[in-house]
Amino acid sequence: MRTYELVIVADPRLTDDEMVTLTEDYKKMITAGGAEVTKEESWGRRKLAYPIAKLNEARYVLICVSTDGKSPLPEVELRLRQNDKVLRYLTVRTDRNGKPIPPPQPREERGPQGPGGPGSGPGAGRDFGAPGRGDRGESGEEN
Amino acid sequence: MARPKAPERPKKKVFFRRRKVCKFCVDKTEWVDYKDTKLLQGFILERAKILPRRISGTCARHQRMVQEAIKRSRHLALIPFTAD
Repeated sequence: MRTYELVIVADPRLTDDEMVTLTEDYKKMITAGGAEVTKEESWGRRKLAYPIAKLNEARYVLICVSTDGKSPLPEVELRLRQNDKVLRYLTVRTDRNGKPIPPPQPREERGPQGPGGPGSGPGAGRDFGAPGRGDRGESGEEN
Repeated sequence: MARPKAPERPKKKVFFRRRKVCKFCVDKTEWVDYKDTKLLQGFILERAKILPRRISGTCARHQRMVQEAIKRSRHLALIPFTAD
């Protein structure tokens, strides 16, 4: 069994109804192609990290697909590319050796500390800079 | 006078750097999600470059996963390519 995730980034000027029909269209294509839609998740309007087609916002939809054998996704991708209401899309295979990848376990105790620890630039700078500077300063004054 | 200096010498050379451990190995992560922008934000610098392994301490295998996830996330405009 293969599982995929499909994220569609669509024009924010679409109305809610238009957005529903758009996702329904693609879902129909997926089921018609012999696959199954296991999950659908609308993220609503989100701010883009950078403008795409002079737009600063977009509507996001996530569709999870599972299939045995035939994949309808090449066809779906072709249609996504042709649709100018779709700004971006991404399909990702989410299984390994026939098994879906387990979702990451939420690690609440590490959560706030974890990403901040390695991510902080100043911390890293201290690591490299301090020992060198300290060494030179001390020995210079004593000798 | 020379006495107090002598014991100080070796002390200076012994500075100790905390050994960095791969956060993902600790958590036994098998998949870094490109949708998890909160996590990925922690792995990009202010200029939105990918944080190097030497700083984050991530192991090679997990750095590859992080890299892939960041690139996917950028494509979807969830995180920036560059700071403007």
